[in-house]
Amino acid sequence: MWKYLVKKEFKQFLRDPGMPGMVLMFPFLIILVFPFATNMEIRNVRLVMVDNDHSDRSHLLMEKCASSGWFEVLDVNAAPESAQALMDRGRTDAILTIDNGFSQYLEDTRGGGGSVPVGIKVNTVNGTRGSIAGQYLNTCVTGFISDNMVSSSAAAMPGFDVSGSYRFNPYLDYKLYMIPGLIVIAITMMCGFLPALNIVSEKEKGTIEQINVTPVKKTAFIACKMVPYVAVAYFMVFTCLLLAYLVFGYSCRGSYFAIIVYTLAHILVMASFGLLVSNFSENTQQAMFVIWFFSMIFMLMSGVFTPIESMPQWAKTITYANPLRYFADAMRAIFLKGCGIRETWPDLACLLGIGSLTMTWAVLSYKKTA
Amino acid sequence: MRQILSFIQKEFRHIFRDVRTTMIVLVMPVVQIILFGYAVSTEVYNVVVDVVGDMTDPEVRRIVERIDANEYLRIGEVLPSVSEIEGRFRRGSPKAVLCFGDRFDSQAGSGKGASLRIVADGADPNTAQTVTAYLMGVLASEQMEMATALTGSSGPSFSPNIQLMYNPAMSSSYNFVPGVMGLILMLICSMMTAVSIVREKEFGTLELVLVSPVKPFWIVLSKLAPYLVLSLVNYVSVLLLAHYVMGVPVNGSLTLLTLASLVFVGSSLGLGLLVSVISKTQQTALMICGMGLTMPTMMLSGIIFPCESMPAVLQAISCIIPAKWYVIMVKKIMIQGVGFASVAKEFAVLTGMMAFLLYVSIKKFKTRL
Amino acid sequence: MEEKTVMIRNLVKKFGSFTAVDNISFEVSRGEIFGFLGANGAGKTTAMRILCGLSKPTSGEGTVAGFSINSEQEQIKRHIGYMSQKFSLYPDLKVWENFELFGGIYGLNDKEIRIKTDSMLKALSLEDARNMYVRDMPLGWKQKLAFSIAMVHDPEIVFLDEPTGGVDPVTRRNFWETIYDAASKGVTVFVTTHYMDEAEYCDRVSIMVDGRIEALGSPAELKEAYGAADMDGVFTRIAGRGAAGQ
Repeated sequence: MWKYLVKKEFKQFLRDPGMPGMVLMFPFLIILVFPFATNMEIRNVRLVMVDNDHSDRSHLLMEKCASSGWFEVLDVNAAPESAQALMDRGRTDAILTIDNGFSQYLEDTRGGGGSVPVGIKVNTVNGTRGSIAGQYLNTCVTGFISDNMVSSSAAAMPGFDVSGSYRFNPYLDYKLYMIPGLIVIAITMMCGFLPALNIVSEKEKGTIEQINVTPVKKTAFIACKMVPYVAVAYFMVFTCLLLAYLVFGYSCRGSYFAIIVYTLAHILVMASFGLLVSNFSENTQQAMFVIWFFSMIFMLMSGVFTPIESMPQWAKTITYANPLRYFADAMRAIFLKGCGIRETWPDLACLLGIGSLTMTWAVLSYKKTA
Repeated sequence: MRQILSFIQKEFRHIFRDVRTTMIVLVMPVVQIILFGYAVSTEVYNVVVDVVGDMTDPEVRRIVERIDANEYLRIGEVLPSVSEIEGRFRRGSPKAVLCFGDRFDSQAGSGKGASLRIVADGADPNTAQTVTAYLMGVLASEQMEMATALTGSSGPSFSPNIQLMYNPAMSSSYNFVPGVMGLILMLICSMMTAVSIVREKEFGTLELVLVSPVKPFWIVLSKLAPYLVLSLVNYVSVLLLAHYVMGVPVNGSLTLLTLASLVFVGSSLGLGLLVSVISKTQQTALMICGMGLTMPTMMLSGIIFPCESMPAVLQAISCIIPAKWYVIMVKKIMIQGVGFASVAKEFAVLTGMMAFLLYVSIKKFKTRL
Repeated sequence: MEEKTVMIRNLVKKFGSFTAVDNISFEVSRGEIFGFLGANGAGKTTAMRILCGLSKPTSGEGTVAGFSINSEQEQIKRHIGYMSQKFSLYPDLKVWENFELFGGIYGLNDKEIRIKTDSMLKALSLEDARNMYVRDMPLGWKQKLAFSIAMVHDPEIVFLDEPTGGVDPVTRRNFWETIYDAASKGVTVFVTTHYMDEAEYCDRVSIMVDGRIEALGSPAELKEAYGAADMDGVFTRIAGRGAAGQ
């Protein structure tokens, strides 16, 4: 009996006009397109410079900034008003103003007398972009001044040397970090909610009625529905991992067994959640809206795109109920840090905890509504 | 004219009679803007930092206390040796470990240069970089104080004055809330509309409408009317929340903002309409909007990841997403407070998109007759 | 004594305060074609769903194919066939695949399924449609096919819920021949309909009004009792009386 039901689900899945194509396309999008978009690195900061000093020194400073490689210099000799206008229109991220008396400041033998006659203005509408522009400029200016200070005392300062290094991802490659996260998102979208929608549409078509009058148990019917989606999830995970290896040379550092276990656990959680939603929906449209609503919340509050640490406490508390949080955390730990189930077991425990809760509720409400 | 009015009336009845769906459509953006407005942020707070070093060493103690007092950093555990670092990172709690050399205090005091190493968990590059920068900052000020204590005079400061324009408090809601507004409005508007025509196709009631003497243009328009009303209600609720709850200022003209939103909503409705006209079933339509639009909008419209950092190809693709232009406009109008001249380009692009989408969907709708 | 495949005593089904089925009792014999008539909302579908084991009665008892409708629903499902008013075969599966699926569900093995598919398609003279997608078939074919699939596991009793909705009289006639054929082989046929001419084809009919059985008997008996020329007249009179009594 199981054989025939599973066969039916596979055939229907493969005959769907969109699904097989999407399943084939998704891994390519996930590995070859999206990682390039998920770049937090700030490059090509647009800079306008205003020189009121008109000295050799001020020219040297501007040259130093221009050659630092951080900036795309739009204008080196702008009038203050036009620089401001450029910023208002969002054309430039930063303005460096060198005030009159800059060269004199450097000549000043006392050193550090008064404030630095250099002004930096950054556009912080885009949060990070502005503050990073500020940091870059600050580094340039401070470096220039301390190098050119006539009185610059070269005496060794007491203190300590600080060196930094990065584990697991020494070159801070954002793509490496995002790939496991994006795999998580793809599986959630493709395999998490679709089984539930599939059941809703069988309800609407009336075919589920025909199955209900047969001796097939409802739970068995749902279990058989899950099989192709689980297969698809594994297909996608391993295609993604293979592509990541072939294209970028990234290989999974941890246990493949752990990936298999987590993927299965995640699909079960999401599918039972989807079923729960569909039990409480009147039609496909409602089910789809509500499912979309939750999947957005799951995705944006999972730590895949922005760190959970940066959320306010109440939002952090909400993420404890988000299955994606645990799946994403575990996948990253496995892929990047070489972990297995032993190190990530709290994630698995939470995932299974949420899963058993939603599963029980879904099955109970399903029996009631049917 | 009377016919058209009665058509519009029918459409309104149709939509608002389904109370549950209407409620879902109106409540969704409210919940999402509150959640994402606060939660979507790349600022790093409360990061756990572990320490490897001799805690009886006075200088080590001073630095550790200093770090713990920093609002962004929190000391986690003191590890007995560097070999523990790997294991701690794998279990995931600290984002960085500070490793002090032996006899840190005496080395540092002597001016021989004691050594201090920051090992960050580079798995998440953004957090790793930020934490390292925070730690460097704390250490630099400690070093400055040590120098002051030794020489008796404060060292020179060469730092120029940095002026933060438009967002002096560096509130990250300024950055993300407009993005979230664009994301939510665009997706909800298009998803709502996506079912409009395809549903009648499925139920077979579309034929009934088509045999009436009303022109297809008016049929489509009357279908859009109730969705437009719902979208505007959503716009108002999202804007009120952004301003009064998330604290995003409205520095520019509210009329201009509303006008821009109207055009944006129009192009989103047009997108949904096009999907509705080309798909055969409600499920396909919802799938295209729910999955096909969500991912690219989230990833490519500069809401989380800046468009400027993308490769040129992706930047070009991002230009066809209406949300990208809307978010740019919202930031300019709400935060920078600029006038129409500064947003004219984005406004024109969105208007063009709206006209194009509506034109194509009406044309496609006609050819189906 | 005649063998009874369906025995129902004092069956009641309530949804909250609404009584959909109000204390009905009847029996159906083996090989009988039993018609269940009534206006939309009279409770026929609700009653039938209880007999099929799809929902539980609020009170009352009965047996279908020898199994209790209260406690042995899963057993009932093994011994009945069902075809609903909504055409509910899988449109995206081919004809033979639908046979395979439902045969498999009822525990037939591959060989049995093959034999069954061949003989049934032959009986319907649809051998050439074997590889057709169900969605591409004309409605009349689909209905015959759905009936055959409801019979794939040789059930003792087959329930047909408005099986001929939306097809032309010729196709309907054709379909009824298939039903007669099954009944002659000893299968009990339980059919709901609102086509009164179809009622004439039944051995016995019951007419439901507002959840109660208002009349039960062979078409001839009923026509005589109500002094009507055809079943349409009988129905109008009973339904009219029911409405007047409210």
